[in-house]
Order: sequence, then structure tokens, then C-alpha cells
Amino acid sequence: MAGTYSLAQMIRIVWVMGWSDFFLKYRGSILGYLWSLLAPLAKFLVIYYVFRPFVSDSIPHYSLYLFLGIIVWEHFTVTTTRCMSVLYEKAAFVQKLPFPRILLMFIVGWTNLIIFLTHLLIFVAFALFTGKEFSVHWVFVPLILLHMTLLALGVGMLLAAYCLRYRDIAHLWGIVTQVLFWLTPITYVYRLESPLLKTVRTIPDMLRGAALHNLFDVFVQFQPLSVIMYDLRRVTLYPVELSAPSIEHLLGVTAVLLVLFCAAASVFRRRSAHFVQEY
Amino acid sequence: MFMRFVGFIVIILVVPPVPVISCSHVTKTFRRPLIPLRHLQERLMFPVRKRREWSVDAVRDVSLQVAPGEWIGLYGPNGCGKTTLLRILGGLLAPDSGSVERNRDISCFFDLSVGFHEEHTADENVRMYILLQGMDAWRTHYVIDAVRSFADIGDHWHLPLKCYSVGMRMRLGFAVATAAPAELLLLDEVLAVGDQDFQKRCWQHLLGLKRLGHSAVMVSHSMADLERICDRIVSMDRGHIVSVRTPMCASS
Repeated sequence: MAGTYSLAQMIRIVWVMGWSDFFLKYRGSILGYLWSLLAPLAKFLVIYYVFRPFVSDSIPHYSLYLFLGIIVWEHFTVTTTRCMSVLYEKAAFVQKLPFPRILLMFIVGWTNLIIFLTHLLIFVAFALFTGKEFSVHWVFVPLILLHMTLLALGVGMLLAAYCLRYRDIAHLWGIVTQVLFWLTPITYVYRLESPLLKTVRTIPDMLRGAALHNLFDVFVQFQPLSVIMYDLRRVTLYPVELSAPSIEHLLGVTAVLLVLFCAAASVFRRRSAHFVQEY
Repeated sequence: MFMRFVGFIVIILVVPPVPVISCSHVTKTFRRPLIPLRHLQERLMFPVRKRREWSVDAVRDVSLQVAPGEWIGLYGPNGCGKTTLLRILGGLLAPDSGSVERNRDISCFFDLSVGFHEEHTADENVRMYILLQGMDAWRTHYVIDAVRSFADIGDHWHLPLKCYSVGMRMRLGFAVATAAPAELLLLDEVLAVGDQDFQKRCWQHLLGLKRLGHSAVMVSHSMADLERICDRIVSMDRGHIVSVRTPMCASS
């Protein structure tokens, strides 16, 4: 791209445009910001009503467990979907100004992080209301937010890199997210034997028999969204029962997600040179 | 001492200045299937050998250099490759072959809407635009004041863009594009703006920019406009440069 942008300029663009998109999203609607809350809330109420009789015995604080799972899930799906749609919404800018296209992805990441933080505040209020105590393990929350953003933007950038060329991707992603919702431990119980590396060694045993449900088990156990959700739940909801994540675990997860993010950013940058002619 | 001074003068006179922007042997081809094969069922219906492709060589082996302070006009019929060349120079399109060397900051102005958002006010849109241009924070305030006074849209400044007339949008677009120009401007059909009074102000503004030493590559369908301001007029046809001439009455 033409023009050189300093790091400070890029941060300023992401900061200002992220806030602007946050406010613009709800401009003109009567309920405004409440819309971002109503979708996860409706999902929460229905699932809570259906699942509570089956899982509330095995999962303490099931309402909080479910609420946290749903807001993390909403963050992931909305961010990845917006990474694709932002290329259409900001088509006029993309076609006329030679700024680094990857900034659009960071703007999406920032806007959705703001929305997630508001959801997390509601979760805190909800937890206080139900009498849950807070532990020092909350210090890990910013790192887990970083994990969430790296994962959502990594997947989002890979999708956005090809969504203009192959218009099927947006439709395909709609189906994938529907399937993934049930392959992520949002509504049901999930345990990760600590440390994660030790559990990884059991994959051959888990796959014995090669039945489809074994494959699903392995997928649910190790997919990054499960691990992120588990980490967030154990530091906020079960600090005593499950203990804090170890340094090796956090470093390992950060490294894997950073590799995904950097690879996706590299693909996106390469592909973005062709965006203008793919509209 | 005297000899060093003479040597300095000789260097200035003999060594040509580094071009603001240059492109060499740039070629760009657009390809589209004649029957859009976007869907799987269409791909199955049309065998590979029966598929036909439409392709156009929008820009063919074009080389161009813009010296500091020089204004170049691109002229030619519709579809001759002027805008594609401008987009390649601006870095919006990657050329298939050839190279582009940019030595200065660039302001792009590719049509009169410049990507404004209908729900944003003029103030928000202008801030957004100059932010994406990569302008420093300390200049933002001055530039916004300059845009506001040049566009002269009165109380509409704080209304969403959807409340604007077409003419008002164009005036705002022109004001934004030229209020804080970089050293090189890439301008695509910018002079079809507003009423006669506003056009007169636009001309004064552009001529002022030229006097200040800014360079520009300017696309227009009006030869008279190009002759009025450009130092060189490059005529294009079917992707080629067919002639380069120097107008007699270019304003300095």
C-alpha cells in the first residue's frame, strides 16, 4: 500500500474508528446498545430453561457458567463475521484510500472487545447479585481477553482474506458456526486434565475405535475456544476448585494463538493487494 | 570556496531532481468470465472448453515520471485506462508487471464521495477521512477548520450526510481532498463540482496548490481544464500512452 503509517498513527486510527463504529452500530435504533445484549440474553434464557434440569447438578453456578460461555461465543462469532462484512461496509474507503487494510480487522477487533467488556461488566454484576466472591485469579482475565482477540481476529482475517473472491465463505461460515456452537462447551460440562500437554498425549487413546463421537470428543477437548472458555471460567467462577492456570499452560496457549494470528495476518496482507479489483 | 559554490550550482542544474512518483513498464489486465461462473451449478453446466473469458488490458506498458512541482493531465476516452493508471500510482491496485516508485506522500481523491458514511455528520466523516489518510493528530484541528470554511455548507456541518444535497456532498468532497494535500495529489474528475462560484474557488485553490509546489496527476475529460493547469498532458487510448504534449498556456 502507498503511504507509510507510523505505529502511533495506526493505533490512533484503530482507537478512533473502533469507538466510532461502536456508536454508529446502534445509531438510529430505539433500543441502541441493548440490541447487543438482547441476542445473547435470549439465547441464555432459552438454553438455561432447557438444560438446567440436566446439568445443574454437575455444574455449580450453572447460570453464570452458561452466561460466560454465551458471551465468549457471541464475541467470537460476531467478530469473525464482522471481519468479513466490514470489507463490504467500508468498500468506499477500501476502493479510494490506500491505507493498510489490516487496520480494518483491528478496528473490528477493538469494537467487539469494547462490546465484550460491557458484557463482562454485566457478568460481574450478575455474579455479585448471586453472591459469588471474587478471587485474585481475575488478574489472568486480561491475558485471556488477549487470547480471545487473537483467536477471533486470526480466524476472521483468514475468512476475510478470501471472502471477496469466494462469496461462498460467508454462507459456509454461517453453517460452521451453527455446528461449532454445539462442539464448544457452552451449555455442557467440560474438564481439562491439567496440564494440557499431558492431556494431548492421550489423543491416540481417545481416537481408538475411530468412531465419529471419538473425533468429536477430541475436537471439543482441544479446540482453542474450549480452552479459552475453560480458562476464563476457572479464574472467574472456580478459582478454588480448579486452581489458576499454570505459566506453561498460558505461555503455550499464547504461543499457539500468536502463530495462528501471525499466519493469518500474513495471508491477509498478501491477499489484500487484490481487494479493489475483487469487489 | 568559490569552486565549491560553482560545483553546487552545476549539480543543481545538471542532475535531474528525483521524481515524486514514477512508474515503469506498468501493465494491468482485468479478467472476468464471460458467463459468471460463481455458482457450483453453473460450473457443472458449462464444461471447461466452452467457458469464455472477457479480458481487457486496461494499462499496457506505461512508463511515467512526475517531477517535483509538475502537474500532469491524463486525457482520453472512457475505458482507456486513465483511472486504472491513477489507482496503480496510488497503490490501490497492484500492477501485473512493471514497478511503481513513490518518493513522497500521496493524497488520493478518486471520486467526489471519497467514502463518506451516510449516518455520520460532516464533522465525523471529515475526521475519519483525514485519520485514514494518516495525518498527525496536531494537524487535524486546523484541517477541519479549513475544510469547513472552504466547503461552506453552513449549519449542515453537524447533520448526517443523508440530509445533504448532491452539490453539498461534492463540495465537501472537494474541500476534504484538497484541504490538506500531500506533496503529490492524485485527482480523478474533481472539477465537476458545484455552481460557477464554487468552481471559481476550486480553480483558485488548485492553482494556489500548484504555486506552493505540490505535484499532481489529474484525470479529466475536459481538455480545456487540463490545458489550464497541467504542464504535460498525456493522452491515452486502449491502455497505451499515445501522445504527450506541453500545453502553451499552462498556469504557473
